[in-house]
This record gives sequence, structure tokens and C-alpha cells, in this order.
Amino acid sequence: MSRLNAFVTEAGAEIFKALRAPEFLLPTLLMPVAFFSLFGIVLPGSSQNTAYLLATFGVFAVMGPAVFGFGVAVANERERGWLDIKRASPASGASYIGAKLVATLCFAALALALIYAIAGFVGGVGLPRSVWFGLLATHLAGAIPFALIGLTLGFAFNANGAIAISNIVFLALAALGGLWIPVMVFPAALQRFASALPSFHLAEIALAVSGAPGERAVMMHVAVVAGMTVLFAITALWTWRRQNA
Amino acid sequence: MNAKTHANPVVRAKNLSKHYAGKPALDGLDLTLRATGVTAILGANGAGKTTFIRCALGLTASSSGELSVFGQRPGCDTSRRRTGVMLQEADLPDLLTAREHLTLFASYYPNAMSVDDAIATCELGAFADKRYKALSGGQKRRVQFALAVIGRPDLLFLDEPTTGLDGEARRALWDTVRKLAGSGTSIVLTTHYLEEADALADRIVILKDGRVLADAPTADIRRAVGGALIRCVTTLDASAASKLAGARSAQRSGRFTEILTADTAATLRALLDVDPAPQDLTVTKPSLEDAVSDLSLFEQEPKQ
Repeated sequence: MSRLNAFVTEAGAEIFKALRAPEFLLPTLLMPVAFFSLFGIVLPGSSQNTAYLLATFGVFAVMGPAVFGFGVAVANERERGWLDIKRASPASGASYIGAKLVATLCFAALALALIYAIAGFVGGVGLPRSVWFGLLATHLAGAIPFALIGLTLGFAFNANGAIAISNIVFLALAALGGLWIPVMVFPAALQRFASALPSFHLAEIALAVSGAPGERAVMMHVAVVAGMTVLFAITALWTWRRQNA
Repeated sequence: MNAKTHANPVVRAKNLSKHYAGKPALDGLDLTLRATGVTAILGANGAGKTTFIRCALGLTASSSGELSVFGQRPGCDTSRRRTGVMLQEADLPDLLTAREHLTLFASYYPNAMSVDDAIATCELGAFADKRYKALSGGQKRRVQFALAVIGRPDLLFLDEPTTGLDGEARRALWDTVRKLAGSGTSIVLTTHYLEEADALADRIVILKDGRVLADAPTADIRRAVGGALIRCVTTLDASAASKLAGARSAQRSGRFTEILTADTAATLRALLDVDPAPQDLTVTKPSLEDAVSDLSLFEQEPKQ
């Protein structure tokens, strides 16, 4: 009971902190829906792509809060010594990370709601209700590997470095993972590189869930994402240990 | 001696060493802290004060030697629940208020004070609902102090707690520290201010180069540091000067002779008896730095 209370308080604190930094929150919420509207709705000929881009931009939308919410925020809190105070207290590390994940999922859900609304009401994407929920679950689950990437960056770099590196990683995962432009149109070498990125595999899963045309080896993509998630958990743990050696 | 003195040591370090990239920060430190009272750890920068505290909190692993807190490994669940800390270089997230920070911290401890009590005890009322970012340096330190005590710790580490506080806030914090010590909390304090150690500590431990240079009740240290430094050009040599009434030690420094005395009047009288016309005579209070850097000032207490 008291552990639950501590966790709820911790998650509330994380949400407050994010809400009070609108200069960081608003871009992560609005950029995905702005890009989606441009590529999926406004540009001529984009109407055939709306459903496709809904799946891939959903991955893009959760990536921002996850990579920045962990990478930049953790680097900052570690650098200013706040994590030392927490580690010396009875606070649980798992609760700290879990609370940050809850906040990330809340904001990711908001960013997704904006994209889904534009796709459904403006773009005319009609999906069965069960498919909408399947897509939502897929997109939100995608926050976990990205959060672990952010956590690794937050442990490995100081606050300023983490901002720069998180931006590079974020943009590379988006562009090279085929979240903006389908990987089919990439040159062969870039297509091979895309298959090393979790963003690509998550997008393929989301496309399969949304019923996009084409054959997809869903279970293979799920296995790859699961494997990468374990790998990022290990790198996060490793950078943390190295930091405190 | 009360019964608690015989209780298990709260912190026990034996031959504790910590090396950073081959350089020792702690070099065979032996220190045992028993329950209740305020222990001040003094020493120059780099003497190992902060490293010792970080090791005792489990934030930094020692390189060798033994260290226990409440008889257990530093940083284990039990010791963290019973320990509060105010770190020297640690800041809280900017965007939460003092009250929110306290609410969060209170949720970590099984037997925490209420947030309102903590605000009252630490006198945060005037700014409890302001965001941490908007607080002055001194107010921030007071919020950090409140976080350190809200869990009603049995052991409280205060690393340079009054840096950045004005005189009034400093004395208010001292009062709270005395109250906590009076109610049975063991307090470990590091400070640059001799005045602060003097005002609060029952016992003073002086570190130098990662080792304990002196460890004695404050009264003893005060006697040593509380004397005066007589400096003059005299016909006496250092060894004769050190034998003057009240003199503790003497040394030659250029053309001057420096006599450290416990009894200024007696030593001056004795000096003038032998050399009626010393030149450029000054009498000053030795600084804490003088005391800390002068090993001969302190006798190491026999190890228990």
C-alpha cells in the first residue's frame, strides 16, 4: 500500500514536471501531428498514404516523449545530483523509472490521440474499433524500447550532451527507420540499415496491425523488437554501473 | 556514559580506502561513530570528507577496507530507511515546489513526519508553494535540509549544510540540528566553518589526505585551537620558546619565531622575562587551517 502510494506520488511528480515545461512538451506533442498532417493529408496525392502513414507516424509520436523524456531528463537529474539524493533515500529505482514511463505513456497517448483524430476525421481513415485499439496498444508498447534507449543516453552523457545526442538518435530512428518515407523507396544499403533499427520493426508491426497491404513477417518483427528491448535494458544497466564505479 | 554509548556503532570504518584513477581519496581511514550526538568532520578540500560520506551512503563503492552502517552494508534498504542526507553538490528538480518535493520524499519513509510538520520545523512556510527554481540559494538549502530530516532518520549526514545561508538562517538550522541531536539522532556534519563545528559538535574528527588526523571531543580541540599564535623576532630559539609557560609548540618561520600558546598572558609574560624587547610582536588567533595542517597540535586518541 505504501509502495503503491510512493509510486503514484512519483508518477504525479513526473507528470507535473513535464506539464510545467511546455517549451519541451508542446513540440513533442505537436510535431508528430504537424508532420503527419503535412505528409498524410495536405500534400497532393497523399490521400492514398494516410492509412500507411498513420501506422508509421504513430511510432514517431511515441518516440519523442520516450527518447527525450528519459534521455534529457535523466541526464539532467543525474548531473545536478538529484539521483544521488534519491539513491541515498529509500526511494526505489524501479519506481523512479516506472513513474517516468507512466508519464511518457500519458504524453505519448496525447500525441497519438491527435494523430488518430486527424486521420479519422480529416483523413477519412476508417478502421474497425478493434483495429484502432490494437494500433494504440502497439504504438504505446513501442515506448518501452525507446525509453530504454533514452535511459542509456541519460546515463552515458551529461545534460548538454544528452540533448544533442538524443536529437540525433531521434531523427535517425525516424528518418532511417522509414517513419516519414517508406523504406521501400530507400536505396538497398539504407534498407538493410533500416532493419537494424527498432523504429523500422515497430512500424512494420503497426502496419500489419492496421491491415496495410503487403506481406509482413509479424512474428519476426516482434521477436526482433523484443530482443532489442532486452539489449537496450542491458546497455542502460551497463552505463548506469559504469557511471557509479 | 549512557546506555546508548555502548550500543553498536552507527558507522564503522576500518582501514577504508577509495582510489580515484589511482589517486587515494581515502587512505586507510579508521573511524567509529556511536549513537547520539553531533560529530563534525573537518579537513581541507580533498581531505576525503565528501568521499567518506558518499561511501557511507552507498553511493560510491570503497576500494578496500571495511565499512558498515547500522552493522550492515552501506546503501542497503535498512540503512537507507534510517538515514537522511543533505549533500553538498546536489540540487532538486526545478519545477516542483518545496511542498511537492516533501510530499514525494515523505512517501519513501515508513515513519515520516507530515509535510506540514516538516515545513514548520524547517521554517519553509514563506516559500513552500513556490517552485524550487524560484528560490534563493539559502531557501534551496533549507528545502534540502527538510528532505534530509522528513523521514525521521536515526543517522543524518549534513555535508556543508550552511553554505549559502545567511546568519539568521544558519542559526535556525543549528537550532533544528541541536533539537534532532537531543532527540537521539546521530548527526555527521562536514563544514568549513570552525564556528559551526564549535557551536554544534560534541566531537570533532579531522581528516587529512584520506586519514583521520585527530579525533577528540570538541572541548579538547577547542582548547588547542582556542589559544593564540604569538609571532615576533626574538633572541629565543624555537626549542626554548616552546618551553615557555603556556606554550604548546613553537617554530621558526623566516626571521620570526611563532609560538602557539594555550595561555596568551602567561606565555607573553614568560617571553618578556627572557627577552624584554621582542620586535614586531603580534598575537593572532590560529585559523582552523593552521590547526588542521599542524599535526603536532593534536594528539591522536588511542584506538578503541
